[in-house]
Formats: sequence, structure tokens, C-alpha cells
Amino acid sequence: MRIRSFTFSVLAVLVLGVGCKTAPPPIPFSDYKAPYATKPDFARVELDHPLSAADRAKITPENLRALPQEKVDQIYARLTAGPIPDGAYTGDLFFADDGGLERISKVMGGARGFANDLVLDQLRLVVRLLWKGKVFYRDKRELRNMIDDRALVAKLFDVDVNSFRTGQFNGKTVALLFPAKLFCGQSNLDSRRESVIIDYAFGDDVDGYLPKADSVAGRNGLQVRDEIRRVRPGFYLGRAYMGKIFVLNFTLYNEAAAKAGGAAAEDCWNGKDNPESQQVADVH
Amino acid sequence: MKRASTFLGLILVLALTSTVSSAPAGPGDSGAYRDDGFATAEAGLSPTEIAGAEIWYKATAGSARFTTYTFQQRLGVLIDWYRVLRADQQGERFKAWGLIHDPDCCVPGSAGCPAKSLDETYGFEYCRGDDQLLSHVGKPGYRDPACDFKDPGGRGDKQSPCDLQFGTSTGALGLRKFPNPRFDAAKWQKVNGGRLGTWEGFTKRLSDDPKHPDFKVSHLADASIEPPYLIGMACGVCHIAFDPLHPPKDPANPRWENLKGAVGNQYQRISEVFASGMPRDSPEWQLFAHDRPGTVDTSAMPNDSVHNPGTMNAIINIAQRPTFPNEKVLKWRPVASCPDKSDPDVCWCEPGKPGKCKERKLQVETVHHILKGGEDSIGVREAIQRVYFNIGSCAEPCWLNHLTDARQIDPQQRNFGQTEFEIGQCRRDCPNLRAIEDRLDDVLQFFLSRKPTDLWQARGLEDPRDLVEQLDKELGKGAVDRGRMVFAQNCARCHSSQSEPFDNRDFLAKDEKGNRIDWLGNDKPTLASEVGTYRCRALHSNHMKGHVFGQYGSESYHERAGDSNVADTTGGGRGYYRNISLINVWATAPFMHNNALGPEICGQPAAPAPDFYASSYVEKTADGYRRLPPEQAPKCWPYDPSVEGRYALYKASMEELLNPDQRVPKVTLLDDDIRIEVGLRSIGNHKIKTLKLQIPEGEPAGLLVSLDYKRLVDDLIAAKADPGALKARLVAHDKEHGAADAALLGHLADALPHHLDDGDIYKVGRPEASRLLRLYGNCTADFENGGHPFGGNLPPADKKALIAYLATF
Repeated sequence: MRIRSFTFSVLAVLVLGVGCKTAPPPIPFSDYKAPYATKPDFARVELDHPLSAADRAKITPENLRALPQEKVDQIYARLTAGPIPDGAYTGDLFFADDGGLERISKVMGGARGFANDLVLDQLRLVVRLLWKGKVFYRDKRELRNMIDDRALVAKLFDVDVNSFRTGQFNGKTVALLFPAKLFCGQSNLDSRRESVIIDYAFGDDVDGYLPKADSVAGRNGLQVRDEIRRVRPGFYLGRAYMGKIFVLNFTLYNEAAAKAGGAAAEDCWNGKDNPESQQVADVH
Repeated sequence: MKRASTFLGLILVLALTSTVSSAPAGPGDSGAYRDDGFATAEAGLSPTEIAGAEIWYKATAGSARFTTYTFQQRLGVLIDWYRVLRADQQGERFKAWGLIHDPDCCVPGSAGCPAKSLDETYGFEYCRGDDQLLSHVGKPGYRDPACDFKDPGGRGDKQSPCDLQFGTSTGALGLRKFPNPRFDAAKWQKVNGGRLGTWEGFTKRLSDDPKHPDFKVSHLADASIEPPYLIGMACGVCHIAFDPLHPPKDPANPRWENLKGAVGNQYQRISEVFASGMPRDSPEWQLFAHDRPGTVDTSAMPNDSVHNPGTMNAIINIAQRPTFPNEKVLKWRPVASCPDKSDPDVCWCEPGKPGKCKERKLQVETVHHILKGGEDSIGVREAIQRVYFNIGSCAEPCWLNHLTDARQIDPQQRNFGQTEFEIGQCRRDCPNLRAIEDRLDDVLQFFLSRKPTDLWQARGLEDPRDLVEQLDKELGKGAVDRGRMVFAQNCARCHSSQSEPFDNRDFLAKDEKGNRIDWLGNDKPTLASEVGTYRCRALHSNHMKGHVFGQYGSESYHERAGDSNVADTTGGGRGYYRNISLINVWATAPFMHNNALGPEICGQPAAPAPDFYASSYVEKTADGYRRLPPEQAPKCWPYDPSVEGRYALYKASMEELLNPDQRVPKVTLLDDDIRIEVGLRSIGNHKIKTLKLQIPEGEPAGLLVSLDYKRLVDDLIAAKADPGALKARLVAHDKEHGAADAALLGHLADALPHHLDDGDIYKVGRPEASRLLRLYGNCTADFENGGHPFGGNLPPADKKALIAYLATF
């Protein structure tokens, strides 16, 4: 068991170590200290350091990983939801310093932090190896996750491997698991504008739901709820919550959408207009 | 002849548009739309006052997103608006929820109602303006009726009135609805069994099996399903109520003549409304949905971990409300311009509106003390503005990011605790704030127009002396006159705004405008320990520096010394109650800031409407409280807004007030277990242990709400991670108990992990409740109807006399 843990952690270091060498994106941030009350108001961050298109162009899925959680948050809060994506997006997750599971591990682990780090590294590795990204079905407002190694997953959940919906991704057949609903909704980090929400709570309403496997992410399982905002066309920054507790960051990237570029309309409330009343005329 | 007929026609039109109408304008009658019933309720006002009244009655100022999306998704509290507002239970709505019916709304299918079926209105009542509104459900392009609001004196540089956001009535006054452009009729019908006119499929539990986790789940938690309406609140939702002078014959169906906008709704169960979609055994329901009728815990949403529901008191006679000079007030003030490159959080000019600038600066000035402890202390207009935040206005752009997240236990993460929101930022980013702020004078003028409602008038007497005669006859010859002396000698010190000596003061004198000269309260802050009433409200912390509403407290407020006579932490402004006004006290029982002193009141609705009354009468036991069995507990009094109903409640409450030793103690207890279970239950065929917590029925809700559980959890973690540092910190804080406290936490930190999956965490910690409350209780008060013993030692005849005299207030 110890040997397996060691192997996992070595692998993790190998896999993650590459990402750690990337320099952080050269964009401005507001100052802060550790206590919660020193974290700057997002509205003020945006006022002092609005993210220009040039700034957003400097952000990549790789260099985000070099930032501590507070800086990732400051980026996220300066983004808008963008259009609800469509199609397959390559996914990757990261645990930033002082945030999510990384921080929970430190806080909860205390003296046993090293052991928790090992668990985290393993989790990181396993999820990164298995989870390939997300497929958005924009018209149906649904989503599924692309999972590699169908045989391993089938064994884990004790289901027939042939029961999985599948798709092709980068020349490989992947399972399309963990269906979720897709809509514009409240961000758990920054209330000032909506995010695109990926909610697994009612995945059982989605056609092809596999209770044994898919319920893991649902309302009676880990209660996963993701939210994403667009960095630039084809590139979204996401946050995953379990039971409303922030767990990890992730990125979604679609090369074709990135190349197509363009300024697609916002689908969600951007904090400025009021789509509910849609004031068509002010006669005064 | 032509002139005469034109004149008659004009009279007819005026009569049709100004009198109470029983049927709202119907489809196709958009030209006749007039949602102006409030003007009948508030007849006789000036244009400015009536403009203020309209804002008070209707303006939601953007709160609809808060109570449709934010509450549910970010705060995690589900509101079942259909349960509250369904048209087919309109007749029981007042009794169940204490909401006041809008006389201009009708149940579809009822006689004269333009809507013939519930499908047309998505299960709600049909109200004025709904012809336009209903045609925009599921579509963009709705033009809010607020856009037609007429500013007295012209619009000038005011923010667009569209941002007042009126929508139309829901059938309950103060709750307003807006068409949801995101509504998808096909989705709605799918979840509701093919029907448009019900929300039952949307709100029903997904399982009928109490053991199944889906027993607690409904599609209310599914934010992908957009309801037909967004529901917003106007300030009137808590303040519009029955006119004590003209109570309705049928409280479920009042007429406009029976209503007033600033009376304060003594019957409303707003805490139950806010948690109406939560399971009965959820912490949200058990801890927060038990406020007494007519009270609201305005810090429940900011979550300051202090149990402090307070009354929605009457706003009357405020021209004579005491003010306090020489207070240090840091606030935004109008200036002609701002220096170049000003920090916009210090000085800001509204773009495109030359000369409309404000600067935040400190001045010494005279201000009112508003709220129970005088927390709102930078000006009366700012206090009115802040009420809009309480109803949810500007939540997303301004203050939601500054609230506590109940689940965040890491002091290094955002939302571990409150932070202070910047009023300047809110003004820049929230047009709804500007729409209200630019019209605060209108609302203030409406408030200033509110006159007292005296018992002699309510009884239809011609002269106040006739009431004195009646009271003397009832309570003893000369009782009123004697009561005046008793009041002067025992009560006026706090409950008069005149100066000593009081013996010859006329406490009931009026000025030429009909306002009382005496506010019958001096509004001065009194230490909570001196008043002795349930002190949690005095420990409200939202206005402390660095807390969410910190900028609404003056520097003088923040500098107030704490109350060293109470066990709980005070200071930073906390620890006081304002000596409140007794004007029209005959109409506002039960008493005290929490409505706890006097008989409990209840609606007693008929099924299937919900009945929320739960007796809070208790006796103390060795380790807690026991709810008195029904045969031992005093009966609750059914809602009775009639003149004699109010008077009877007043007398009974006064008897309790003046006989403290005869009060049956009240403590709000959980009326069901709280059961929490989180985590993965299985993977494949492998069962997995979940995290469980169970708190048993009968535990005191107030103590649980006021427990600073975040500090407790953090110290438990510290007890494992660094016990030496924890001990040093606790000893430094409390030399006498610190070491033993550290040992206790160490013991609990060892024991609790063994009970994460059996639900017994609470049971393990419960024997140490008193020590844990000493360490982590933000408010450890117990009896909710205790305190204010003043008058308890008076002879019986003097007590009767005081009851007689105060009835003339």
C-alpha cells in the first residue's frame, strides 16, 4: 500500500511538476493578506485593474496553475460568463495554493498534512488521468463529462461497460458520464454577475442517466456544482463545488472555438442590464 | 348642455378611477391600468407624500433577483412562492402567513375577475397591470409600470424611475411579481403534469418515502427550471397593515380603506415565508423560521450568528422623533464637484449629470437613532435607503459578496465572516440604489405624514375625554388621571421626549398639524442589562465597523462602550436598546422588540393551509428547557385586528409587563429534529459512510443560532493540529478557565471524529453545553419574555391606572 502511494505521488510530481514551471500570467492584481477581511472587494479589484482583452490573452490554462487561489479568484471575478459553450472542451483541473481542497487539506490535516498531500496528489493524478473534459449540448442545455478508461470506471461503479454513452475525443473513445444541467445562475464566489452553471443535482432528468455511476455527482452523492466564466473565446475558467464547498479549479479549452474567436453575445446576466424587466423605453 | 355632460362625464371618470374597484383592469384594458389603490389607503396626501407612498408600497428596487435566484442558489434557502401565494388558498393566506391581501387582485374564475382560469395566471391571483405582464411571461420586452412613475416637481437629474421596479401585485401587498423572460412553458408543463396553472410538480417532494433522501428534495432546488414569475419585495411587505382606526371586517379580504402603509404588520410570518421551501428538519427551517408574528431577523441573511428577530414597528409621528446632536458622522454628502482623479470611494460625480456629485466625509451633526439599538445612525434618509438592502435591493452588485458563508470555516477564505460594503461602490454600480436615493425625500415626506391612531378615534368617540370616561369606568374611578402621575414618576424618564421634571407635563399634547409633541420615548441608548429584556437584539453586529452595514453606523455609534454587565461580548456599538416610543401602544401589543411580552398570537388557518404556531412556553429543567404540555401552556390568541381585539391584547400584555413574576417563560425550541446528512452514500455496490448530524427537537433555537460554530470548529481543529498554541491562546484570554477549556476541546477533538457517521456529534458535545456557550455563544440569553421589570412593584391600583393611562397614548 505504501509502495502504491509512493508510486502515485512520484507520478503526480512528474505530471504536475511540468505545470509548476510555467510563470504566472503577467496581469495586475490587488494586494491582500491571509485573513479573510483583507481580501479586496471584487468591485474594487475590477475598478482598479480591469482585465483588458490583452490581459486575457496572456492567460493560459497552464499559467493559471502558477497562481495562488486568491489571484485565481481575482481573475474569475473580472470575467463574464460569456456564451454558453457548445461542443467538446478539453478539461484540466488544478488545486491552487491556499484554496479549495489544497487549503482544506492544510487546515484539517494539521500535523498530518503530509499524508493529506499524498491523498491530494493521488486524487489530482487519478482525476487528471480519467477526466478528459466536458461536452456541452448548448441547445439542450445539458452537459456530459468525458471519462477515459471505460473499463476501470465500469469496474469501479459495478456497471456494464457497454451501458456507457460514448463519444470520440482526440481519436479515442471516451465514456460520456455524469450528465448535468446547464444554465445561467448565481456564482458562489462573485455575485456581481452570473456564471454558466453546470449542476449535477438533477442529472437524473437527463436522457441516458446511469444511476449507479452518474448519481455519484448528483444531489444524493457529492452534490457537485460547477460554474464557469469565459477568459476568451474557446477558453473558460471553472470552479467546482461539492455541497457548496469550493473544491478545485478547472479549465476548459476548445481549439476550434479559440481560433474562430469573435465576440459572441453574453447569454447570462452581466450585472449591468436587467433582462428581467427589459425596460424598452423610458418615456420621461 | 355639452359642458354639463362633459362635467358629468369627468366626474364619472374620476369616480371610476379614484374609488375602490373590485375588478382589476382586464386584458385589452391596458389604457385603463391604474394600480393606485394605495392612494385610497393614503388619502389626503400631498403629491410628494403620495409619491413616497407609491415607492413604499410598490418599489422592489431590484429585489426580485434576490428572492428568486440569490436566496435559492447562493444562500441555499428555498422559497416556495407558490405555497405562499397560490390563488386557490387566498382565503387562508392571512391566517397562515400573515400577508395582507391586495384588494385589487382577484382569484381567476371568481365573479368579475378578468382571468377565468388559473392557467392564465400560472396559479396566482390576477392583479392590476397583469394584462401587460402576463403577455410577457417567457418573453423579453416588458415595460415596468414604474417607468410611468411621476416625480413630483419633475424628473430633473434623478435616476430613471424604471429602476424602482414596481412589477404588479402578487395578491399579497408588498410582494410584487415580474414576468420571467427565461420562462419555458414546455419545461414548466413537463414538470407540472402538463399544466401551466400550478406549481405543484415544481414544489412537491420527489419521494413520498421519509427514509429516501429525495423525501427532502423538490425541483425548487433545480435552478435550471425558471418559474413564470420573479417575485420581489417592496418595503411595504412588512409595513403595510390594517389601519387601527378602520380595521377590516374580514382580515382576509380588506378594502383599501382598511389599510395603511406604515403601520407595521404585526401578523406577518416573514421568516416562514423565506424558508417556505425548506424541509421541516433542515437547519434553515428549525433555526430561522420560528420568529414570532410581526418580527423579522434582519441579520439572518447576513448571518451574524446572533438570534435577533425584531418587530416591524409603526412609523408614526416621526416629526417629533428625538435627535442627537454632536455625533460624528462619516457619510456621503452632496458637493458641487470632485477634485480630478478622486478616489471614487471618496468623491464621485454621476456621469452625464453635471453637478450631481457626492463626497464621503466626516462631520459633527445631529442625527436620529434608528433600529432597536440605534444602529442606523448616519441620517434618516440613509436609514430608509438601508431598508432597501434588507429587502434584497442591490444584493448582487453591492453586498452579497460581503456576507458570511455559513459553510466557510476557514478564516483565510472570503466570506468566512462579514466585510463592509462600500456605499459609494453601490451607488456607482447599482442603478436601483440611485433610483431610491434620488427619491428618499418623497419617502421621508410620506413617513412624516403618518399621524397617530388614537383609541378614542378608533372607537368612534367624539372627544378624547369620552375615552377617559370609558377607561375610568372600566378600570376604576380616576384611573386615567392617576395613571398619568404613575407614568410621570416611573416611566417618563425613558418614555418621554420632554425634559424633567415630568409631574406637570402634558404627555398627550398635539401641535397644529396633529402630531404629538411628545414622542413618548427618548430614543436614548440604554444598556441591555439595565432593560433586562432578551438581549440578543442588542448584540446585533451588522453595523459594527468592518461588518456588512458598518458604513450605516456613525463613528459615535462605533465608539459606544460595551455593556460590562452581560456575559456576552459587547462593544463596537453593541449592547444597547433604544428607549422606544409608546405612541398608540394600545394598538401594538404584544410588546418588546421581539413581540414576546404578552399573549402569543396565532392565525389558526384551516387546512390545507399551513399552521405554523408552536408554543414557546417552557419550564426550565436541570439541563435545558421543557415545552409545557398544551394543557399547561397559555393558549395563543387568534389574530384579531379589530379595535377591541387590539385593546384586549394590549391589556393582557400590560398585565404581563407589570407582573413579571407571573410571566410564563418563553423560549423558542426546535419543534422537530434537525437532521443533516451529506456525502456519497455508495459507489457501485459499495456503501459509504456519510457525515451525519442530528440535533434533537426541544433544543433552544436562539442559543443554537447564536453559537459561533465557526470558531468552535476552528478551535477543535487547532486542538488536534497545535494543542499547545490553542492552550496558550485560551489561557491568555481567560486565565481562570483557559487550561481547562483547552483540555475540553482536546477531549472533544478526540471524541467527535468517532461520531461523524452516526449522527451523535451533537450528543457528545451536549453535556458540555454551558462551557461551550461561555466560549462560543454570541448571545446566551434565555427567556425571551424576561426583563423590563419596571412597574412590577407598583400597587395593583397603580398598575390598573397605568394600563388606563397608556391606553390613551
